[in-house]
Amino acid sequence: MTCEHLRRVLLLCVAICAVRAASVAGLDRKVSLLLEKEPTNPKCFAQSLTDFTCFWEDDEERTGSVDQYTFTYSYQNENSSRCRLRAEPAGGRRLFLCHLNRTKMFVQMFVHISRDGKPVYNRSLLIDQLFLLDPPANVTVSSAGQRCQLHARWLPPPIKYMDDSLMYQVSYAAAGGGAEQVETVLASTELRLRGLQPGTTYGVRVRVKLDGITYGGFWSAWSEPVLTETLPAEPNPLIISLTLIISLILIVLSLSVFLSHRRFLQKKIWPTIPTPDNKFHGLFSVHGGDFKEWLRQSSGGLWLTPAFCYSEECPFPLEVLSELSVCPTLPSPKASRASDGREQDCGAAEDWGAAPRDRLMNRLRALHQHEPSPQSSLLESKDAYVTLCSGQHPAEKALTLEVLLAPRKAALSECHSDLGSVPQSSGSGRLSSQSSFEYPTHSWMPKGPGYIYMAGADSGVSMDYSPMSRADDTGKVVLYANDYKNDMPAFSRPVLTRQNSIHDDG
Amino acid sequence: MLQKTARGLLVLLFIVLEWTRPGLPSPLRPICDLRVLNHFIKEARDTEVAMNSCREGCSLSESVTVPETKVDFDVWEKKNSLEQVQEVQSGLWLLQQAFGLLQSSVTNSELHSHIENSIRNLLSINVVMRSLNIQEYTPPASAAELEGTWMVSSAAELLQVHVNFLRGKVRLLLLDAQACQQDVS
Repeated sequence: MTCEHLRRVLLLCVAICAVRAASVAGLDRKVSLLLEKEPTNPKCFAQSLTDFTCFWEDDEERTGSVDQYTFTYSYQNENSSRCRLRAEPAGGRRLFLCHLNRTKMFVQMFVHISRDGKPVYNRSLLIDQLFLLDPPANVTVSSAGQRCQLHARWLPPPIKYMDDSLMYQVSYAAAGGGAEQVETVLASTELRLRGLQPGTTYGVRVRVKLDGITYGGFWSAWSEPVLTETLPAEPNPLIISLTLIISLILIVLSLSVFLSHRRFLQKKIWPTIPTPDNKFHGLFSVHGGDFKEWLRQSSGGLWLTPAFCYSEECPFPLEVLSELSVCPTLPSPKASRASDGREQDCGAAEDWGAAPRDRLMNRLRALHQHEPSPQSSLLESKDAYVTLCSGQHPAEKALTLEVLLAPRKAALSECHSDLGSVPQSSGSGRLSSQSSFEYPTHSWMPKGPGYIYMAGADSGVSMDYSPMSRADDTGKVVLYANDYKNDMPAFSRPVLTRQNSIHDDG
Repeated sequence: MLQKTARGLLVLLFIVLEWTRPGLPSPLRPICDLRVLNHFIKEARDTEVAMNSCREGCSLSESVTVPETKVDFDVWEKKNSLEQVQEVQSGLWLLQQAFGLLQSSVTNSELHSHIENSIRNLLSINVVMRSLNIQEYTPPASAAELEGTWMVSSAAELLQVHVNFLRGKVRLLLLDAQACQQDVS
């Protein structure tokens, strides 16, 4: 109980101290304000209907105690009275104050100040003309749903009989250094500020003063500024519509450009990884990439895939490593280049059967050792040497085809492009008998395990592998054409290997 | 013939009565707007200013009794409405008497016009008070019977009292008039 009581007393003291501190702070601000505005001494002001204060500053030259001063006042037709003075420090100087708790208005008041019996100040005043009120409280500013406008409201000073005698000034300026504007309003506690910038923050403050008809006084201090932002500007419908139309046009144009170059963009962004799946049907889908299994399961014999017939495909050439009777008549650069070899081969045709495999390997090694000349055919650089390696008869289904590619590069993929880029064969190149085959004749028979040599002669089939073949190119010398005459032995029949043109599917 | 004459007189009587309308006066609407009083106050100040600039022919011939104008709000609020009305009405009567004497004393034409205006305004205040259901004042036989009065000897003091009385007690009375309070609610 005692603790509770003490706590209440403590709270009361704190509240009183806070109120006194606020009043002292308010008094200090008013004193400072009057020191600037009021030239007459003593400076007097009324804060309410009963409160009245007069003060003056002591000169630095004439410093004296408060007891040296006498403050007397009297109303008209009345006796004088004395006011009790007090001293307050003020920035290195002293203030002497007289405070009255009870006043009479609408009558002349005479003030007389003396120091040591000598008159210092005399003044005749009307208290009702010296009001200095506190600034308006609870200033609220809102947009009230109106663009370029703000609605300011505030509470009037809590003083009786003066509601219709109060006048206010509202100051507003854009935050960030805008010009300050002031508007005056009479006997009203709200004001609508018009003509403001949209989407701008404004600082609004208010002060109050009596109108001077019945009561008068000084402008109060400004209230604390209230920052409020005006509503943003409404977008211009014409600008919005034009923006939408232009955006729509740009979108349509972009889509049309995109659609017209869709394939090009698709190739650039997502290049298709070439797969041989379409050439080797079932190799990946059925046999899981097992080529041996795929070959085992494929139909008997070798058959030509439809892709082989496509003009843009570039079958890799099959070099004739050994020829029999047709050897001297080969006009191809490859043949001419290998003419020595072939002559040797021809000359050694009889020996062919002796060690055909060894001859073949030797021939291969010889060709590998030679650097191709720049004038040599591009086809030579990418010739694919085909050797058939199998311990069984080629007629049997179980046939193993081993392809020894040229060491330079996998020219298969460039076959197509090379064909198209060679200037001598620009546009067309009739490749014939690239797929010539060597038929095994009775004059030589492979011996030993490993290879089955297939000799083939030109069957007279010439196939145009160039995608740009033209009729006017027929008269040009085709460097790559191997125009074999069809003097294939009657007994011989073409044994077609299953050739799958591995080409760049690009 | 006699009947025709009687009828003619009756018709004439009705016409005369209709024209004069000697019926009871209709009640005035309450005048609660204090801007009317503010106007009177401004004109009273103008008269005071004119008096301060007057050099000749602007003095009172004799001292006059005027009401006290000081207002102690604590004391004023403790008085009842009848006391307040009595105080204001007696003061207005005294001022009317004083302005009557001033009007006869002043010879300055400009000040004379201001004084006449002030007298009209004092009468208008009576009308305003009547509109607020404040009964008319019955003046005493002598001003000496009234309390809260004092004597002034100069026109300047009289005009100052006039201004202060209007700003003070008269305004407080009109501000707190019951008729205006009922009208607001």
